[in-house]
Amino acid sequence: MMLQIRNLHAYYGAIEALTGIDADIPDGSICCIIGSNGAGKTTLLKSISGMIKRTGSIKWNDTNLINAKPREVAKLGITHVPEGRHIFPGLTVYQNLESGTISWHGFFGNKPFQNDIETVYELFPRLREREKQLGWSLSGGEQQMLAVGRGIMARPKLLMLDEPSMGLAPVIVEELFKKIVEINKQQGITILLIEQNARLALEISDYAYVLEHGMITLHDTADKVRSNPKVLEAYLGKFASHGAEML
Amino acid sequence: MNFLINLFIPLTISGLAMGVIYALMAMGLMLLIRAIGVLNFAQGDLLMFGAYLTYCLKDQLKLPLLIMWISAFLLFAVFGAIFMFSVYYPMRDTTWRQTFTITTIAASFILKDSVQLIWGTNPISVKPLIAGSVKIFGTKIAIQYLLIIGIAAVIIWAVFVIFEKLYAGRMMQAATQDKYAAEIIGIPTMITTLITYMIVVVIAGTAGYMVAPIFFVNPTLGTLQLSAFAGVILGGFGNLKGAVVGSIIIGLIQSYSTLITTTYKDTIVFLVIILVLIFRPQGIFLGSKISDKA
Repeated sequence: MMLQIRNLHAYYGAIEALTGIDADIPDGSICCIIGSNGAGKTTLLKSISGMIKRTGSIKWNDTNLINAKPREVAKLGITHVPEGRHIFPGLTVYQNLESGTISWHGFFGNKPFQNDIETVYELFPRLREREKQLGWSLSGGEQQMLAVGRGIMARPKLLMLDEPSMGLAPVIVEELFKKIVEINKQQGITILLIEQNARLALEISDYAYVLEHGMITLHDTADKVRSNPKVLEAYLGKFASHGAEML
Repeated sequence: MNFLINLFIPLTISGLAMGVIYALMAMGLMLLIRAIGVLNFAQGDLLMFGAYLTYCLKDQLKLPLLIMWISAFLLFAVFGAIFMFSVYYPMRDTTWRQTFTITTIAASFILKDSVQLIWGTNPISVKPLIAGSVKIFGTKIAIQYLLIIGIAAVIIWAVFVIFEKLYAGRMMQAATQDKYAAEIIGIPTMITTLITYMIVVVIAGTAGYMVAPIFFVNPTLGTLQLSAFAGVILGGFGNLKGAVVGSIIIGLIQSYSTLITTTYKDTIVFLVIILVLIFRPQGIFLGSKISDKA
């Protein structure tokens, strides 16, 4: 068991966005969290990575992260690829990837990271072609690849992806999800995935959590969650059981 | 013909010299605008403070040149940290961003008044680093002007090198472009902000040291920042290179306009700015703001 979340509450000022979350992310797995807009999915990731005020317990191996700052969480090998990509628009693709190393490289450090860059380029060959281009000039799909690539540069043990499919064409989303599986299988990186596209997320995940109004209402293996009638109705649509075969 | 050259060359040199001083200040302004979104109204007063501090080290304490340079550099850097911890850090969690602008206005008053308390209100004259003048095309040019241009060019180059060539500099750029993402991937944004403040004060203080022999050292040196604002507007808000070039253009316009009028040379500068704001508010350079495109 790698990440163990117990009774997690998170707050935006006085508003309580998460009301007691329990979740376990096992080593080497792909876990997804599905839920509608405003259910608290992004908040959950933010509270793991330390971007928001929270209480309860988040155990990462033997460390409790509940009071950790984002920088400390990143140093421990938890990398958060934020919603909306958030790549650095005025840095080149190469420099964006380089910035991902900050968690282990150190601000004034001088450690080599050429091998890491190569790994990312092999995973996303498009990034190698765009190496010298500025971040803003990339297409949406390339920006998302860059955001994921920057996450891998941090040498994570747990990679948290927030809505990687947002605003991308279906073909690109499918390609991206294949890469996510590849990252998980080949590099052994545990993945915590947040998705609105529940069908796709459940397809590649081992375990799934359903989040509603700041609470986990269902958790099980992805296969079981997929065939749960409530999930079918609420997240996969009426004909989803047929639609799922499309993948 | 000779008459024209005799007129043109000194005006160009002095215009360039003032232009690079404005450029140094504009660069500092721009670094803070990009890093934390603050328009620093104390920029000119930091320059004035630099002039007084270097006067104190050089003429009052009579330190040898090299030691004076090093101690001035260190004092500026320390003062940059003090500046950051007084006008930025206590207010860092505010939701009203203009708070920072107002604290810089307060800092401007405090600097002006404390300088007057310490050194008095009388203008102090300072000897140039190398006195005398050289002849260029038969025209006498004070060496101090050439020194200003040379040193400022080195500083401007150094700032670009820091931000482009050093890993830490690129991380600082990243932090200015997307603070949220920078924090999430673990860039120490408080340190990048602190270093930015230190660089800004070192640049402004050095500019003060360089202009001191041209103007008298006096509490109104701070008004030079108006021309730096003009340079920033001309170059386009958010554009570091634009701010440098814009400021140099402002310096030249100011200098050439003395051909027509000396009284209204600042008026002409601001006339240009009004025209720019009306016809090209994004600045004279294309693609001035990266973040608009992201």
